[in-house]
Amino acid sequence: MSTAASRRRTPRDLRPSTVIATIALLAASAVVLLPIAIIVLTAFKPVAEVNAYPPSLLPDTWTLDNLKTVTSELPFMRLVGNSFVFAGGVTVCALVFDSLAAYALARIDFAGRRLLLVAIIATLMIPFQATLIPLYQLVADLGWVNTYAGLIAPRAADAFGIFFLRQFFLALPRDIDAAARMDGAGEFRIFRSIVLPNAVPALLTLGLFTFVNNWNDLLWPLVFTTDADMGTITSGLTLLTGPSGIVPHGVMMAGSLIAILPLVIAFLFIQRRFIENIATTGLK
Amino acid sequence: MTRTRILLSAGGAALALAATACGGGGDTGGPVELTFWHGYTEADGDVLEGIVDDFNESQDDVTITTEVKTWASIDDSLLTALSAGEGPDIVAMPAERLPVYADKGAFAELDDFYADESSNTADLVEGAASMVEVEGTKYGVPTGFVPLAVYYNTALFEAAGVTEFPQTWDEWVATAERLTVDEDGDGTPEQYGAVLPDHATVANGLWPSLFYGNGGNIVEDGKAVIDSPENAATLEYWRTAIVDGQISPTGVDGIGADELFSAGKAAMTVGGPWMASIAEENGIGYEIAAIPAGPEAQAASAIGVSMGITVDAGDEAQAAAEEFFAHFLNDENAAAWSLGSGWPPLRTDVPTEAVSANPVVVSLTEMSDLGRPLLPGVVNSVDVLAAVDELTQRAMAGEDVDALLAEAQAEIQAALDE
Amino acid sequence: MQHPPARRYRPPAPLGGRRRAQDGSMRRSAKAFGFLAPALIVLGLFVIWPMFSALRLSFTDASGFGEPEWVGLENYAEVFTDPDLLKAVTNTALYTVLFTPTAVLAALGLALLLNSPHLPFRGFFRTALFVPFVVSFAVAAFAWSYLIDPHVGLLNYWLRGMGIQLGNVLQDPQLAMPAVAFVAVWKLFGFYFVIFLAGLQDIPASLYEAARMDGAGPLSRLRHVTLPLLSNTMAFVLVFAMIAALQAFDQIYVMTGGGPYGSTQTLVMEIYESGFRKLELGFASALSYVLLIATLLLSLVQFAFFGRKEKDLA
Repeated sequence: MSTAASRRRTPRDLRPSTVIATIALLAASAVVLLPIAIIVLTAFKPVAEVNAYPPSLLPDTWTLDNLKTVTSELPFMRLVGNSFVFAGGVTVCALVFDSLAAYALARIDFAGRRLLLVAIIATLMIPFQATLIPLYQLVADLGWVNTYAGLIAPRAADAFGIFFLRQFFLALPRDIDAAARMDGAGEFRIFRSIVLPNAVPALLTLGLFTFVNNWNDLLWPLVFTTDADMGTITSGLTLLTGPSGIVPHGVMMAGSLIAILPLVIAFLFIQRRFIENIATTGLK
Repeated sequence: MTRTRILLSAGGAALALAATACGGGGDTGGPVELTFWHGYTEADGDVLEGIVDDFNESQDDVTITTEVKTWASIDDSLLTALSAGEGPDIVAMPAERLPVYADKGAFAELDDFYADESSNTADLVEGAASMVEVEGTKYGVPTGFVPLAVYYNTALFEAAGVTEFPQTWDEWVATAERLTVDEDGDGTPEQYGAVLPDHATVANGLWPSLFYGNGGNIVEDGKAVIDSPENAATLEYWRTAIVDGQISPTGVDGIGADELFSAGKAAMTVGGPWMASIAEENGIGYEIAAIPAGPEAQAASAIGVSMGITVDAGDEAQAAAEEFFAHFLNDENAAAWSLGSGWPPLRTDVPTEAVSANPVVVSLTEMSDLGRPLLPGVVNSVDVLAAVDELTQRAMAGEDVDALLAEAQAEIQAALDE
Repeated sequence: MQHPPARRYRPPAPLGGRRRAQDGSMRRSAKAFGFLAPALIVLGLFVIWPMFSALRLSFTDASGFGEPEWVGLENYAEVFTDPDLLKAVTNTALYTVLFTPTAVLAALGLALLLNSPHLPFRGFFRTALFVPFVVSFAVAAFAWSYLIDPHVGLLNYWLRGMGIQLGNVLQDPQLAMPAVAFVAVWKLFGFYFVIFLAGLQDIPASLYEAARMDGAGPLSRLRHVTLPLLSNTMAFVLVFAMIAALQAFDQIYVMTGGGPYGSTQTLVMEIYESGFRKLELGFASALSYVLLIATLLLSLVQFAFFGRKEKDLA
């Protein structure tokens, strides 16, 4: 893509403003990527270099010791697997439930829908820490402690997703379903065979947000799973904290690398689509 | 999928859920199953597992399953789990955290257990036992009690030609000055003689130790006594040494202190037995010494860990858990636990020979008389320690000591009055 | 002018007489609730029910064990007389002021830069700027803490080379709050950035052409075309950024634990400490409700403000 772009580019494009913009963006990208670089590179540094002064970005000697420590101290395959089940399960459920609800809020004119929307958004305004204990008691009453169902169900629909998809559905042109309506199609058929296919970019975008947020969630899996085998990789990282609270930097960075790698790879794979997609979601 | 099918499957899920909710429980007979949460993750964890396994094999009535967590995550998940009846039967936690749980009714009272001779609690180290007591009632048994001590880097001591470990504050500061190196003369030493954290974790024990050394205290008989001339003198003394003498970096917490020591950037640190394994992991030769004597006393605040029986345990489970506690504290295990964990024995009647195999234990046991329990029986230790943290940090940052002490006094008294 | 008018969907208007309209509205409500049911069941059960439980707890002395006792408005009275609370409110306000404009302006600025078609490496920049969003707050907090560590931190070392003494940032009561707010900016701005990008690409080129014809320069186009047409996006981003700011917790918990001496103790940190450390669930719940109401009011103000602007434009 960049080669095609450079071929297209003519000297006329190298205006001072473009040069300044490029420099500004390069600087911003450097600041933004520095912590990622430090995670990746520190993960491969021996302990002595991790704590050395003056510090350096690149390791002098590359070592796998930190990764080995992580893999021996954590059942990391199991934790990563749990993360996939948790974040994936939540994403699938939330996409289905959120899109159904968003459809009704955007395209069916019923009494009280504005109020309902405001009520749904208001649920975002109470901190999760406040409802954590009542929520846990409820899940325990359902007999779902230490089960995937208990981990996933409370996240199976969320206000942000409903709001996000509602905005998208509102922006879809009205005439796309006019013909189907003329033919007497019911709402559900219009939803399934006309609105949803047009909403693929928005669904992918929301899917990514939902997956990322749940993969990265710390407090819920940490508090919810009393059985270490049910934890996620994000909550599992806390187990790398030593006695007296010391966090060995090298080991923690190696653990962090394992935790973020699946997400970064997944994002790099879909990023072209994703950035194009979000432009078409008409989110505003 | 049609809408009706969605509704049907939602109904199905609700039914399945009702079935799961009703399905559990109801088995009788067989051994009593107990769960035990603790945060012993190192060599000490293996020894504890051994003691538990041994207990499980020694009889057929009780089976204990352990769940290893970090100390911090026990605090995060215990309340939630207990509030829903899903908590452990036995839980170990930092000793200063026990009173608040006990006060709120999370732990079973153990006075009857203590009264029973077969509980092996008669010869418990007094300070350790005081940390499981709230308003005269015992709510747990100690699993660890160790005075803070100085861990020093022998290579750095040798390089500086220091042969004797200091015995008094003045000697301690002088030694630390000799070990502080600022080669490039930029005003920031590359090597510090000591690292004395001014807040969080170990600092919560270091500063009380220094206060005791000059005859001061924080809380006495349920009253705040931090605003005293003795404590003011202590803060001034150490501010001069740390800030003006640069023997230690400022603004470090306990964790940062451990890191500086393990990176060889500080010759002395104050800590607990875990420092021994951290030093070994980082290839640092070390010795252990008692915190030097202050003008009035030689004393060290002790770090404690306690375990209790939660409200989630029924009568039967409580009896079973008490049986385990007695097993944990019996002659054989009292010595084995000390040897394996590197913490001094919890019973005063464990003979020195029984633990002589572990030099760390020997050194720490020698100074166990100096150990004083940290805020025993204080329910709101969170706010008290926060007030002390604020005091020491601001004092080291150069603020007026008298005003700070008055403020801390008021905050601590308010926390005690709650 | 409501933009873009053609694309705004208006649900079909009821047809026929009054009677039929009523029937129709009943039917539509029934249909709508068919669609809404699964999400409402989940939200009702797992979000709203716990919210009401917390509300009930806020009138009790609950600790999580045993039977809580009803204490009326005592917790609320305590909330408003607690000296720590004033500090937590001030801290939260400071954090919000540090975080929200920085994150939103950085996101907007970068989105404007990247919206220019002349720019090289657009694909790379867009990807790079969004990457932090996929990193968890906990990991971000570890990485940044390590980078600015006074003894072994690389960033600290580099800045010292340039003559800037960063010092012990996380232990400095003046700098700790900017630092934790900065980590949140780093982590979240990419999210706002893509939303702005989407909003910008939705502005038809014809409007810029028209403005250019009228002789408007780049700044004037920005002021009179871009920003007014972004006001909906802006309201959306601001409200979500503000909610994120008011609920700041994760990176603070990891980086400073609320210190040094309470200078990064935000409301949610206070809620967490009251509930999970002091086991005062009733008080923590009352505090949460105060936060909920404050958030709600602030959101309404923002929507009203930006919503009005859009109407002026029309």
